[in-house]
Amino acid sequence: MSDATKHVVLLVGSPKGLEKSRSSRLARPVVDGLERRGWTSESLHLHAEVATEEGRERLLGAVDRADLILFAAPLYVDSLPAPAIRGLELIAARQRTDGVERAPRFVSILCCGFVEPSQNDTCQRILQRFADQAGFEWVTGVSLGGGGPISKRARSALGILTEALDLEILVPDEVDRLTRKPAMPRWLYIIGGNVMWRRWAKEYDARDRLRDRPYRRPDS
Amino acid sequence: MDREALLLDGGRDDGDETRDTAALAVELLGADGWRVTHLALREIEIAPCFGCFGCWVRTPGVCVIDDAGRDVARRMVQSDLLVYLTPLTFGGYSSELKKAVDRLIPNILPFFQSIDGEVHHVKRYERYPRLVAIGVAPSGPVDPEDEELFETLVHRNAINYRAPSAAACVIAASDDDAVRRDRIARVLEVDAGGGS
Repeated sequence: MSDATKHVVLLVGSPKGLEKSRSSRLARPVVDGLERRGWTSESLHLHAEVATEEGRERLLGAVDRADLILFAAPLYVDSLPAPAIRGLELIAARQRTDGVERAPRFVSILCCGFVEPSQNDTCQRILQRFADQAGFEWVTGVSLGGGGPISKRARSALGILTEALDLEILVPDEVDRLTRKPAMPRWLYIIGGNVMWRRWAKEYDARDRLRDRPYRRPDS
Repeated sequence: MDREALLLDGGRDDGDETRDTAALAVELLGADGWRVTHLALREIEIAPCFGCFGCWVRTPGVCVIDDAGRDVARRMVQSDLLVYLTPLTFGGYSSELKKAVDRLIPNILPFFQSIDGEVHHVKRYERYPRLVAIGVAPSGPVDPEDEELFETLVHRNAINYRAPSAAACVIAASDDDAVRRDRIARVLEVDAGGGS
């Protein structure tokens, strides 16, 4: 690391926020690892920040201070949750309007509810286009699938990512290798997931209504 | 029975980005016999989905948030054609369009199945509308990379929201009227009329 203290800004694009979201729990070890290497950090929850004028100014101010932006979000219908897109729109508009010359690095961590991490690929490309168009230096996108707690492999990948970010070297292919493989076989995910939904609905006494069709067309 | 089309207009701010294109799409569909509901989403309060899965396990098929998002979800299922209109935003959708798209998940079931070697959700309804998406590049010519990304996103959405078919196109705000009319007519599969 160079002499000057580096600053990482964590942007969390999950509605569940900085404490409870899986996105935040995935990104936090990276931020903590960078802090142990002497970095400073700040963390913002995009849903909260974009909702107020004060928050929007805070968001843009944080981006101005960043040497590295770590963006973490869940996959929502092949893309980002709407408030996370709003945050990116604001940042990109500001970068374009003000002709900002600095080019902080940009890293994304995406997690989807399907077992295949590859289902994040379209959204990673959207984030890369954002980085290009907003004048950031795209570093990499880490994609994780659903299924159980954060795996040992994922933790290991995030550790390698942290070191590469600190040393400002290319992120080793090992990160991709460790995160691209689904956490379990597809058939097992489907069976286990379907059992889980039924159990969850039972808690709300809704198990027998799971297949309700409240908006069915009159002619169908 | 009339064919129903739902146009979700994701133009931001004052709507300048999509207003002309929305008017053109409504005109072309109307001339082809469609009954069109045009929702300018910037004018409609729709809370963001907060990922609680209540629409799947608590009030199956209905979002737990009681606002206009429910109405959009109902209209989607009861349409024959769903049209997304959006300023092209990093190759994807604007936040205005996405706030509505995120609230459509009650219309599929929580259960998983394998489709073409990937996990996706099972249908809740027997029928879903065809999906057409129109992206408007706000400035300059259309970047081919953005266009390809937009088409990929729309086809991915069609899988997840179980559209029987899908199509997408990107037009530039600077395109002349005849070009825009022709491209929009083609993606909507309607006649371009006298303006082309």
